[in-house]
Order: sequence, then C-alpha cells, then structure tokens
Amino acid sequence: MLSELKELYRYRELLWTFVVRELRIRYKNSVLGFFWSILNPLITVLVMTVVFKYVLNVRVPNYSAYLLAAYLPFMFFQLALLDSAQSILTQLPLLKKIYFPREILPIGSVIANFLHFLLAMGVFFLYLLFVWWMNPGENPFRATVFWLPLLVLLQFCLTLGLALFISALNTFYEDVKYLVSVGLYLLFFLCPILYFVEQVWAATHSPDIPAQWQDTLFTIYNLNPIGMLLVGYRKLMLDPQPITVTRTGDVLETHYLPLDWTMLAIAGAVSVLVMVAGYAYFNKVKWRFVERP
Amino acid sequence: MSQPAIAVRNLVKEFDLTHSGYSSLKGNLLWWRKKRKERLRAVDDVSFEVRPGECVGVVGKNGAGKSTLLGLLARVYKPTSGEIHLSGTVAPLLELGAGFHPDLTGIENVYFNGVILGLTRKQVTERLEKIIEFSEIGDYVDAPVRSYSSGMLLRLGFSVAVHVDASILLVDEALAVGDIEFQKKCLARIAEFQANGGAILFVSHDMDAVRRAADRVLWMRAGKVYQDGPTEEVLSAYERSGENPPQD
Repeated sequence: MLSELKELYRYRELLWTFVVRELRIRYKNSVLGFFWSILNPLITVLVMTVVFKYVLNVRVPNYSAYLLAAYLPFMFFQLALLDSAQSILTQLPLLKKIYFPREILPIGSVIANFLHFLLAMGVFFLYLLFVWWMNPGENPFRATVFWLPLLVLLQFCLTLGLALFISALNTFYEDVKYLVSVGLYLLFFLCPILYFVEQVWAATHSPDIPAQWQDTLFTIYNLNPIGMLLVGYRKLMLDPQPITVTRTGDVLETHYLPLDWTMLAIAGAVSVLVMVAGYAYFNKVKWRFVERP
Repeated sequence: MSQPAIAVRNLVKEFDLTHSGYSSLKGNLLWWRKKRKERLRAVDDVSFEVRPGECVGVVGKNGAGKSTLLGLLARVYKPTSGEIHLSGTVAPLLELGAGFHPDLTGIENVYFNGVILGLTRKQVTERLEKIIEFSEIGDYVDAPVRSYSSGMLLRLGFSVAVHVDASILLVDEALAVGDIEFQKKCLARIAEFQANGGAILFVSHDMDAVRRAADRVLWMRAGKVYQDGPTEEVLSAYERSGENPPQD
C-alpha cells in the first residue's frame, strides 16, 4: 500500500489538474455557474423551512440553521458518492489508452465535491453571522465549533472510502449505482436532518418501549457513522435542543442531550477504517477495470 | 551496443472470456451456475527489442494482439507473465481526442493531456506556445473543442504528444487523418524524434505508411511474433499471405 501511495503522490499534479477540470466542467454552460452549488441547498432549505415551520408547525427557533448544519454535509456525502460511482466508467476509453493511477478519478470526484462543500459551509457561517447581527445577544456559534475541522476531515475519510468501494464495484456491476442512489435516499430519512436526534432519544425512551432496551436502541441508531457525524455537526456548532417530558400538557422536566463523544469517536474510527479498506480494495481490483468484458 | 529502449521477454497476456457479455451482479451471485471461464491468450510468449532511434512497425490481422501489445507497453494492462523493460518515458499517442473534454477549450485540454502524459503544469505553460504553434490551431485554442474538426483534434493531440519529451512513442493508427501538409510535418517531427534517439513502435494497417516510416517490422499472428525482420522482407511476405485487408 505504501508504494501505491508513493505513486499517487508522484501523480499529485494530475490529481489537481483533474479536480480543476471537474470544477470547470460542471457549470461550464450555465449562466449562474458556481453559484448553483450554493443556490441549490439554499432553495431546498428554504422550502423545507416553510413546510416544517408553517405547515407542520415545528416550533424551533432558527430551524433553518439546524437544517443547513446537517443538510450541507449530507449533500456533500450524497453528491460525492453519486459522482464517483460513474467516475471510472465514463473515463474507460482513456483508461484503455494510457497509464495513470486509477484512484485519481474517484478521489478527484470526491475532492471536487468537497471544495463545493467548503464553499457552502463558508456561506452558512455568513448566514449565522447575519442572524446574529439581526438578533444580537446570543453567540452565533458555540465554542466547540473549533472541533469542526476534525469532524470535516473524518467525514472526508468516510466519503472517500465509500467512493473508492462504489466506483470500483460499479465498474464491474452497473447495478451498484442504482443501489447507491436508493440507499442514499433512504439514508436521508434515517439520519437526523429533517428532525432532531433529541426526538429520536425521546422516541426510544417512550414508556411503550421496555426500559432495558431503551438505551440499546438509541445506541444502535447512533452507530450509523454518517448519522452520528451529522449529529456532531449540529451539536458542535449550534445550541442543543431541549427535551421536554410532558404529561397531559404539564411540563414535567426539561433536559439537554449532550454530544456523545464516545459514539462520535466510534463513528470517526469507522470512517478511517472505511477509507483504508476502500483504498486497499480499489488497489486490488484496479488493474481489472480495463479488462471488463 | 547501447541499451535497448524497449526490451520485451516472454510476454504473455491472457483475458477472461465470458459469453454473457457484461458481467452482472446476478451472474456472480448465481455462482453455482457459473461455467468454467475460458481464457484468451491475446499476447502469447512475445520477445523483441527496440533500439533507441529505431522505428518499428507492427502488422497483422485484426485480433492478432497488436493493440494489446501496445496497451501492455503503455502500462494499461498488467502482464500475465513475462517482462517489459522500458528505458525512459513512454508517450502513447492518443486516438483522436481521447482524453479531450468537449466542453473545455483547447488550452484547458492541452493542460490535461500534457499532465496525463507526465508533464507538470509549469512545463505545459512553458511549452504552450510551441504546442499551439505546431498544431496550427491558431485562435481556436480558446474555443471549446466540441467545435473542432477531426483534423484539428488530431493536430492538437499529436502536438501535445510530441512535446512531452518522451523517449518512446507508441502510435496506434493515429496518423491516418489530417491533410497532406500536416502529415508531412508529423513525419518530419518523427524523423527528428528518431534522430535524437527516440524509439517508436507503431501499429498500422496502412502498408504505405509502414513502408515509409519503419526500419523494421513485426508481423503478429494469433498473439505470437510470426516474423521479425527488415521492413521490405516482412511486408512482402505479409502481403503475399493475403492477411492484410484491402485498403479503402
């Protein structure tokens, strides 16, 4: 694996050229160009906010911020995986003509999407500052926001590892990309994006569920690495949501769910493992891409 | 004698043959119904050398293993067994616009192609003017290549390939297009490349082109080197054999 990494390093210039090319191609023929990578999530979140606030009556102050904090990382995850799934197949004619480390293609797709994600996160911070300016008093972010780079790095590892698996598998079995898009769609609802992890806690700790299972169920929910990372994004940046236990209209108690650092560490370890395994698998099969029947 | 530019010893390349065409998840899940795989020897125990400054033509029927041999030298395929020694860098001359993205401009594509052939971005910048001048594209370099004619694509691709300072050039039927003037320019450039000690291996069905350019010819038949010798000797035997499809 070390020699593969050296070879990749030798071709770093090609990797960068490839990323630049990806960025150029995407919005080449559109008028608004690069702005789409910001406009797209903003419009989506605007619609979601209207629906949840005014139709479903969700009473959460600054709900859009919570949506964006989880939606933007999930968008990166989704777009990077869908892009990289096709990355080898679309370049197969070139692969059949010339040598270069094949992993450059999926890695390039992930990095190109990652740069869009960083840009979107920058805009998100501007939005938080804007909200703070309109409504001063509380801090725009929590102090733990300084952990964010680590979280972003872990999510990058997870996404890259899965991208390497998916791009290699999709080259041999074209069903994979359909499986991935269905899987990502379901994952969107299984992750705390539209709702809050606190609501999951409340649901798993309802009186209908036997007491000895309650914590286990909640732990199982948090074992989903991307879901747990999204929980991390929200809790590191924004104020926690109160959990209120009510009975027949009276508030019995209100408490807060702190960020579970152990579960976050597990998600981080899984992310790094997935990256190493994905890279090893990709290298094992990459010579067979061009021999695809 | 100096060290050979290309040295190939007992090279073998086998491919899996599956009759169902595309492999599918279904095919691999139904493992109990899997038939025994058949193997195809596309390149079968091939050995030869190419000296620096030499231009070697490869002829043979379709499916004789010529393109696979070129692919092996370009490191696209991993050999099943045998050895390949290459001294210096290899530049495969890409087919018409392979690796060109239609929506990007000529210059953007030159960068991508140059870097993929082993240059740094800085080196491409230094050579950009020469590359554009040689290609005779002129102001079109700033237009997306989807607006290019096939001749322009070929000229730009060829121009990048000959400016990367490779010591081994691999050519697969790429010189067939382009006007007479540009073909002459290419041949002159190739002669210059040879004079500087560059080695060329080129696959072609165009016997006239082989006669003009090659110092030596390899005749491949069913994955093996059937004959290896001076151009005229091998070509006349090859033409008598009737294996060469008539030119259009």
